[in-house]
Amino acid sequence: MSDKASSIQRYSGASFIDNPNPHVEYILVAEFALKGGPSMEHQYPTEIRGDEHTLAELMLPDQIHKRESDWTIFFLHKSADQVDPNAEQDPTGMPPLVYVLNLVMTKYEKDAVRGARCKAMAICTRHSFLHIYKPILLLALEEYFKSPTLETLAEVYESVNSMDLSAMPELSTFERHILSMSDNKEMFVEKFEEAIQRIQGSQAEEDRKSGPGVSSPDDTTSQSYIDLLQGRKKPLGRLQISRDTHEFETKVVYGKIPVPIKIPVAVMPETVGDFSLIQLITTFHTPHAQNPQPFALHPHLTTNGPFTHPIIILINALLTEKRIIFLGHNKPSGLVADHVLAACALASGGILRGFTRHAFPYTDLSKIDELLRVQGFIAGVTNPNFANKPEWWDVLCDIQTGRIKISPRLASAASDPSPSSSLFSSSSPSIPDTGDNAFMESILHSITSRYGERAIRTRFRDWIARFIRLAAAFEEAVYGASALWVGSEEDLVVKGHGQVWPDEISKNRDLQANLARIEGWRQTRSYYAYIQDLVQQAKTLPIKSLDLQHHITRLRTLPLTPADSARLYIALNQCVVTYEEINQFLCHVPENQGGLHPIALGLFHPDPKARQAVVELLERIGGHVAGKHFFGGLGRWYRLAFVRLKGEMVSKGGELGSPRGTPGGLGMAMGDGGLTMGGLSLS
Amino acid sequence: MRLLMLGLDAAGKTTILYKLRLNQGVTTIPTVGFNVETVTYKNVKFNVWDVGGQDKIRPLWRHYFSGTQGLVFVIDSSDRERIDEARQELHRILQDREMKDSLLLVFANKQDLAGCMTPSEVTEKLELQKLKDRIWYVVPSCATSGEGLFEGLGWLSNNVKTDIKAK
Repeated sequence: MSDKASSIQRYSGASFIDNPNPHVEYILVAEFALKGGPSMEHQYPTEIRGDEHTLAELMLPDQIHKRESDWTIFFLHKSADQVDPNAEQDPTGMPPLVYVLNLVMTKYEKDAVRGARCKAMAICTRHSFLHIYKPILLLALEEYFKSPTLETLAEVYESVNSMDLSAMPELSTFERHILSMSDNKEMFVEKFEEAIQRIQGSQAEEDRKSGPGVSSPDDTTSQSYIDLLQGRKKPLGRLQISRDTHEFETKVVYGKIPVPIKIPVAVMPETVGDFSLIQLITTFHTPHAQNPQPFALHPHLTTNGPFTHPIIILINALLTEKRIIFLGHNKPSGLVADHVLAACALASGGILRGFTRHAFPYTDLSKIDELLRVQGFIAGVTNPNFANKPEWWDVLCDIQTGRIKISPRLASAASDPSPSSSLFSSSSPSIPDTGDNAFMESILHSITSRYGERAIRTRFRDWIARFIRLAAAFEEAVYGASALWVGSEEDLVVKGHGQVWPDEISKNRDLQANLARIEGWRQTRSYYAYIQDLVQQAKTLPIKSLDLQHHITRLRTLPLTPADSARLYIALNQCVVTYEEINQFLCHVPENQGGLHPIALGLFHPDPKARQAVVELLERIGGHVAGKHFFGGLGRWYRLAFVRLKGEMVSKGGELGSPRGTPGGLGMAMGDGGLTMGGLSLS
Repeated sequence: MRLLMLGLDAAGKTTILYKLRLNQGVTTIPTVGFNVETVTYKNVKFNVWDVGGQDKIRPLWRHYFSGTQGLVFVIDSSDRERIDEARQELHRILQDREMKDSLLLVFANKQDLAGCMTPSEVTEKLELQKLKDRIWYVVPSCATSGEGLFEGLGWLSNNVKTDIKAK
C-alpha cells in the first residue's frame, strides 16, 4: 500500500472481463450418463485442458446414487506451460493451485430413464476460501436442471466474477497473523475504513478527472481518525464496514437474488475451505477416549508409545510425509474432504507448507495409479475397498469408526534409529514423554469449555512452531548449525535465540523425545519449503537484532535477574518502534499467552531506566491500531501504574518518545497507509 | 465369503443385491461407483460388492478383484445385442491373475421378459465350455421376484474351497 497510485489503479480497474485473474476461472457441468458413466456436459468460458473424463469422475462421487446431494472438493494442478507468465506464483515458483468446489445432486424423476438424473456443477477458483460459493452453486445447479444449457453456465460465471472485493483491506503477513489469533471483532477496523476512503477517493478522482485543484488521493489519507469515524456514519451506499473484521462482507447477485458473501480477511497458508479442526479432533478422539487401542509401533508415529493420541499420530504422519487416507464409507464425500483439509491445516499451523499441494480432498479408485505415484499424500475416499489395500497407504483414518490405523507393512519396515540418536539416547534407554498427551488433554478441555475454532487453531500453530524450534535446537546440537534459524548471534543486541528451556536436562529430554519425528521431518518437502520461506522472510523481517519469541518467552517463563530483564526491556524499547516492528512484536504476545503481561511487569522493575523503557514501549503499542487492543487487555492495575509512571516522567521533564529519535510518541503517524491514532483509552 | 458382482450396465446387479439383502424389490438408479452389503444365507456370510457397469468405468473393476472368492456375473437375458460385449468383458475378467481361483456364477437374469435367452443359450453365447480350470454355474433368475437368487448363493457356498470358507 506504500504505492498508493498503483493500488488505486488496480482497484478501480474495469470489470471482470478484462481481468486477467478473475475470481472464478471455469464453471463445469457433468452428468452420470446412462451408458457412458461420468461425462462432462459443458465447460465455460473455455474447456479446461486435460482429461475431462477424470474431472467428470471427481464431480460424480462414489455412491451419489444413494444420496440427494453432496459436495466435493478437489484441486487442479496446472503445468507451467498452461499458466500465463504474468499470473501470480506461489513462493516456490509453482503455479498456484486451482481449487474446485463441486455440488452434485440426484433427482429422482418418474419420467427419467432408469428413474433419476444425476448432475454436478463445479466452480474452479484461485481463492482458497472456495466455500463462499456454496449458496450460489445450490441455486445454479437447480437452475441447470431446469435449463441445461451453456447460457446457464455463462450467467453463473458472470455473477460470481462481478463480486466486488475492491473494499477488502489487504493485510501484511504480520497483520494477518495478529487478526487470525484475535477474537476482537474490531481488530484492524481502521484498515476497512481506509479501504473505503481509498475507493471513494479514487471514484471522486475519476469523476473530476478534468477539474484541476480538487483533492488528490493523498488528501484522503491525511484526514484525521475522527474524520474517518464520521465517514463511517455517513451513508456509504454499497460500502459498509463488516461487523466482524475477520470477515469482509460483500455479495453476489445471481438471478436477481443478492446472495450475501462473507470472505475471510486473514487467510493463513494451507487453509482451504471452511473445515473444522474441532470436528477432526472429535472424530478421532471419541473412540480413543472410550476404548483406547494400541497402535502398531513406528518411531516417526508412535512418539508416546502404543497409546499415543491418534491426533498426534496424524500430525506425526503429516510431518514425516506418510501416505494418509481418510476413509468415510457411507459418509458424504464433503465430510471426507473437510477432514482432509483440516488435517492439512493441522500440520501446517499456517507455518509449514506443502500439504494442500499433495492433498486430494476427494478422490476415488479411478485415480489410484496417479495417487500412488505421489510420495506422501493426504487423500479422502468413500470406498471401503481402500481399507483392504494396506499396500496403498501408511496411515488409514476411518471417519466412520473414528479409528486410525498404521499399515502393518509400514510398521514392520520401521527403520533403524539413525546414528544421531545415540547423542541423546545413550543415557536412558526409554524414550521420554513428549508432553503431547498433556497437550491433547488441554486441547480437549478447551473444546469442551467451548473455546472456538480459532483458539484451537492457534494452539496447534503454537505446537508446530515449538516443534520447529525443537528441530532447530536438535540440528544445532547434532550438526553444529541449523538452517531453521536464519541469523547469527553476533548480530543480536541481546544474545540468545530459539526454544527456551529452564535447564540442560529438560532440553535433552525434549530433544530425545522428539528425535525420531524430527529426523523424519528433515527429509520432507515441508522442511525444505520452510527453509526457503525463512530465507525469504529474513529479507523483509523488520526486527532482526532480537529473537522476540525467545526473549518474550524468557520474560514469561524464566526467573531473570533484574539486570537481565532491564537489558531486555531496554532492547525491546529500542527495537520495537515502527508500525511493522510493532506488528511483528504483537505476533509474539498472543492473548492466549497473557498478551502484554510479561512486558507490563516491567512497570514495577527496580531499575528506573527499565521502567522508562517499558512505559515508552507500551505508549507506542497503545497508539498502534492493533496494539491498542492488546494494551486495553492489560489489567487495570497495570494501566494505573502506566499512567502514574508516565505522569512522573513528564513532570520530571523526561522526554517521552521514540528511542530512535523519530518524532512524537503520542498520536504518532503509523506509516503504512497513513493511519493516525488518537490518545490512549483508559476505560 | 467375498463376492464380486459385475456385468454390463442395467443388467440388474443392484436389484439382485438389495433383493438378497432386504428380500424386497427396490427401484434402483444407475450405480455411481459401487454398493457393498453383507448377506447371510444358511449360516454363510456373503460380503457382496456390486460395481457400476457403464463401459467407461469398467476399467475400475480390476481394483475389486483381490480376495474375491466368487464372481457373480449378471446377464440381461433379454439383451441379445450386447451378449457379445458381455462375453468379452467376462473373459477379460477371468484372465486376470487375481481371479484365477474364483468361482464363477452367472445369473441369466430377467427371465420374466418375453423372448429372453434361456440359460443354455446364455452358456453357449458366453462360451463357458471353453473355460479351463474354472468351476462355473449358470442360474436362470428374476431379480424382481427373487427367483434363482438363493439357489445361486447355495451353489457358491457348496463349492467354495473349505479352507477359504474358514477365513
